[in-house]
Amino acid sequence: MKRLSPDLLLGGIFAGGMALAVLSSGWTFPDNGEAMDLTARLRAPFADWAHPLGTDPIGRDVLARVVAGGWVSLTVGMLSVLGASVFGVFMGLIAGYFGGVWDLVVMRWADVQLALPFILVAITFTAILGADQYFLIMFMIIAQWVQYARVVRASVLSLREREFVQAARAMGLIDLAIIWRHILPNAFGPVLVLMTLNIANNILLESSLTFLGLGIDPITPSWGGMLADGRTYLQTAWWVSVFPGVAIMMMVLGLNLLGDWLRDRLDPRGG
Amino acid sequence: MMMRMRSLFVVLALGFAAPVQAGGILTLAQAQDPASYDPIDTFLISWGQIGSNVFDGLVQRGADMAIKPALATSWEFLDGGARMRFKLRQGVTFQNGEAFDATAVKFTFDRLLGPDGAKGPQQSNYNAIGSVEIVDPFTVDIVMKRPDPVILTKFAGYGAMIVPPKYITDVGKDVFKIKPIGTGPFKVVDYQPKVSLTLEPYAKHWEGISKLDKLIYRFIVEPDTQVAELQAGRIDIATNVPVSLVPAIEKTATLKVESITGPSVTVLRFNTANGITKDERVRKAMIMAVDRETIVKTILQGHAKTVVSNQSALSFGFDPNQKPVPFDPAGARALLKAAGIAPGTPAQIDFQSNNPLFREVAQAVAGYLTAVGLKGGVKGYEMNIMTNDIIPNGKTAEMFQFGWGGWTFDYDNTAYLLYHSGERWNPYDKDPILDKMLEDQRLSSDRAQREKLLQGVAHYVADHALEIPMYNLNTIFGVNKRVKGLVPPADNRFRLTDVTVD
Repeated sequence: MKRLSPDLLLGGIFAGGMALAVLSSGWTFPDNGEAMDLTARLRAPFADWAHPLGTDPIGRDVLARVVAGGWVSLTVGMLSVLGASVFGVFMGLIAGYFGGVWDLVVMRWADVQLALPFILVAITFTAILGADQYFLIMFMIIAQWVQYARVVRASVLSLREREFVQAARAMGLIDLAIIWRHILPNAFGPVLVLMTLNIANNILLESSLTFLGLGIDPITPSWGGMLADGRTYLQTAWWVSVFPGVAIMMMVLGLNLLGDWLRDRLDPRGG
Repeated sequence: MMMRMRSLFVVLALGFAAPVQAGGILTLAQAQDPASYDPIDTFLISWGQIGSNVFDGLVQRGADMAIKPALATSWEFLDGGARMRFKLRQGVTFQNGEAFDATAVKFTFDRLLGPDGAKGPQQSNYNAIGSVEIVDPFTVDIVMKRPDPVILTKFAGYGAMIVPPKYITDVGKDVFKIKPIGTGPFKVVDYQPKVSLTLEPYAKHWEGISKLDKLIYRFIVEPDTQVAELQAGRIDIATNVPVSLVPAIEKTATLKVESITGPSVTVLRFNTANGITKDERVRKAMIMAVDRETIVKTILQGHAKTVVSNQSALSFGFDPNQKPVPFDPAGARALLKAAGIAPGTPAQIDFQSNNPLFREVAQAVAGYLTAVGLKGGVKGYEMNIMTNDIIPNGKTAEMFQFGWGGWTFDYDNTAYLLYHSGERWNPYDKDPILDKMLEDQRLSSDRAQREKLLQGVAHYVADHALEIPMYNLNTIFGVNKRVKGLVPPADNRFRLTDVTVD
């Protein structure tokens, strides 16, 4: 039996554990961490069981908010990556398989997008439009499909000259079938790695934008929003921002470890 | 290489030239660089703090809020108050040597009331003035177009600060606004936009030379950074201390906290034109739903007082007998029910996202609204978007944050601009009765009667539930104990002539 990779183990524990806690928050904290009590503000952590991780400046339970706050992060992370990868893979397949003018149009479009500083554009748009999380997701999809398109196109360029694809073509299979049956499955490995890493990136991005006060309504718990809540309390009530910070770190670290493991598994030259 | 050599020489030269410290160097941090130091360009408190040291007005207001002579030594009211005659101080010079006389006064007000002033926000504060007439080189008459009961106070600051005619004509506005010259106790010697402004005492100031050797304003946006700099001893006064950082300053032995009544009042105004808040009963219910005393005690840690109208207790027009609407969640629920509001109806508060303190207050208010059956929500906007688009164009949700400085401490300055029809800060209300009340008090020349009328406005606004009066927040300064002789005035406009640093 193969030795269990430490990447997989740790990544699974961190990301899996966090995801499990977040997904079960509907049962564990039915108030979604929104119940406030001004008379119990800024309670220190590890002092009493009612608030194991303390309370924030308006008396909301930090543990409940950390756990429930993952919803926003996970939703934004997952949906944006799903959307970007579906669109990006589609564009990459077209560019790589059909080539010619298709390739030219898609890749120049991609070049133009890569030249734009995404974070600045996102900040500008969210500042003007006061955006919500679905807007953020849309924005990430628009900004990130390029990465998938380029990765897929590169794989397709080499795959379409391989013998098994030539054979399929010689047997008279239509393009759609060749792409679906022979090219996509073989080009998908790198995409999967990219997706894992991008979920982590997008969680960070969502947190940053929310921290700047540009993302999500501060009543709805979110990790970036909690960091912003605790920003002026770092010297006096560290727990308000440290625990959501730890949550972000565990989630992102876990996802990155899983991504590394996945890449090692899928890389034929690796072990 | 040349560059480096040259900067080395500069450093050496400065090192040798540094005079013996007598009054010391005072470094003061404030959040905002007003960017233009031209008095007609601004209504920012950050300008007022600096401008009060660079410029003088005809009169000045001390830390006790009393009006005292400044560039004018005396004044009298003629023609039943329609004409004010000012005797000017002789022998005063601007910091560039230019002489101060009646021409400068006339130039200042002609500029303020003319096309130059029309581009800035200050003109509207002074457009009760008709003209300025020079009687002799040291006597001017200011002729009023219509009465302005607060005009004397307004001569003590902002747009009415006296500017040098020859200098402005020579260098033009674009230079003047970054290299301002006034008659004030400190002159600007260096300006690094968004970084710092350095001033030195003006040796020939008419009140005598100030004690400090140098006065440096540093522009530090982040309150945490201001406090960290204060703790490290790199600044002497932090002017933007959020309530949350007060304990951090208190536990540092070399620092102290000054928490004084400030001019700014925060209210939550209603969108009275659209949605559920169009109904007066709903607005009343929302006022009853919010426990403002608890918010002041907890989130604001007592560094504020609840208010009953959009003015502090220092303001002219404040009625000590006006009673606040009591906290009554049951009554609020009943009123909402009577108004036919379904449980879970959203009620959103729009606020400026760069204000961490109000971010907490807004969430607490939303929590109280949720507790009486609405669905309280908050939405942060970037400051410029909020003040230039969302509010003036009437795009707010049910409620919006509104903070008002009111440095004149006269309710007219707030009430007229916020409640009179057609004003920029009044996107929703058109109430002829209220308009009439606001106009009448401006026409009244009898002080006691005008106070009554202003109190009437405050009662009317409260009776019609146009806003949730929230609190009058203290101005909190963090001060290094080595700073001596500092008397923080309630309007935040420090005049630092007598301050020294050990």
